[in-house]
Amino acid sequence: MQRIFWLAWRDLVLEFRGRTGILSALFFLAVMLFILAMAFGPNPQDLQKAAPGVLWVALAFAGSLLAGRAFGLEVEDGTLDDLLLTPGSREWIYFGKLLFQFSLLVLVGLALLVLTAGLFYLPLQNLGWFMLVLLLGSLGYAAISTFYAGMLARLRGREVLLPLLLFPLVIPVVLAAVRFTQGLAEGIPVGELADWLRLLLVFDILYVTVCALIFPYMLEG
Amino acid sequence: MLIEAQAVAKRYGRDWVLKNLDFCLARGETVALVGPNGVGKTTLLRVLAGLVRPTSGTIKIHGRAGFLANPPAFHRHFSGTENLLFSLRLDGLVPDRTQIHQALDQVGLPHDKPLLSYSSGMRKRLAMARLRLQCPDIWLLDEPEATLDSQGRNLLESLVQEARGIGGVVIATHDQTWLSRMDRVVQLRPV
Repeated sequence: MQRIFWLAWRDLVLEFRGRTGILSALFFLAVMLFILAMAFGPNPQDLQKAAPGVLWVALAFAGSLLAGRAFGLEVEDGTLDDLLLTPGSREWIYFGKLLFQFSLLVLVGLALLVLTAGLFYLPLQNLGWFMLVLLLGSLGYAAISTFYAGMLARLRGREVLLPLLLFPLVIPVVLAAVRFTQGLAEGIPVGELADWLRLLLVFDILYVTVCALIFPYMLEG
Repeated sequence: MLIEAQAVAKRYGRDWVLKNLDFCLARGETVALVGPNGVGKTTLLRVLAGLVRPTSGTIKIHGRAGFLANPPAFHRHFSGTENLLFSLRLDGLVPDRTQIHQALDQVGLPHDKPLLSYSSGMRKRLAMARLRLQCPDIWLLDEPEATLDSQGRNLLESLVQEARGIGGVVIATHDQTWLSRMDRVVQLRPV
């Protein structure tokens, strides 16, 4: 358990020292949201209607930029072998990288939430529920992106392949997150939206479990 | 026995690098792997370290293997201390900074200089310090003398002697001076 935390912490420290991934993702988000706000605006009702979709599409694209960072740090410095040399089974590597990827997505998601609220009039009176859907959506996305990032880590052209493999599998997660966020924005009671949250939870559990089970075999050379 | 490998073979695509190779290592033994470039010395070390799965054959490892790669890899945005600290934590150990600073002093490295400014010889010394702290049973060293100065080579020799007392050592090398000091020399031939 401690190793999982240390791996995620080490990667976060490295990421913030290098700043390559996080800065490019934030810059991309800011430009994307600004262009979309110009395209949908200036009517506040139109902007508000588009807000949930914009939020999750932007997070999905930013997530695809960040997806490679989980193993990109190891590939850049050639340190993947050191992780593989650590004693014991290799599931912990997946969980450490997942925690790192999840933390990055949540950080970017928080920035995105603020930007969307400002540019698209997304009402944040149900902030707790918005946070919950952000956490669950990010977990499902990170589960798949970490898995594929590990699978493609040693391949050339991984930056191109990663989004191609990633997006089809994250559709259920993004769809459930968009519908739940849309309901929250429209003021629908949470009880009526609970099915979307359950769907999100089911996919989170499914993806994390399956990816953690397969990951150690995938890493073997 | 620390290592018992039988009929080990490794193929990359259609090219066989190792074929029908038997290898063993006893506790307290030092073995040199020699042979021309491309004969499979590094591949054999990586197979023994568990980094590469052999195409066929069986390998039994009794104890923990440590691998000194050539060149060794570290995170360039971390200092020597941070690299060792995180390496040991990920190994499940609980290191303290004093212990790490002592290990860095022993190999003549600064504590807080980022790896970006390290030479390849300094990286090799850092890898030696890491192995000493990890203290594995099986020490797999891939051309450890490469890029080291005379002082670094002396450090390496003392490290090998230390490792012999802990477990066993396998060195892949082109340096003939190692051969007389090894218990056994294994000559690999092209497949």
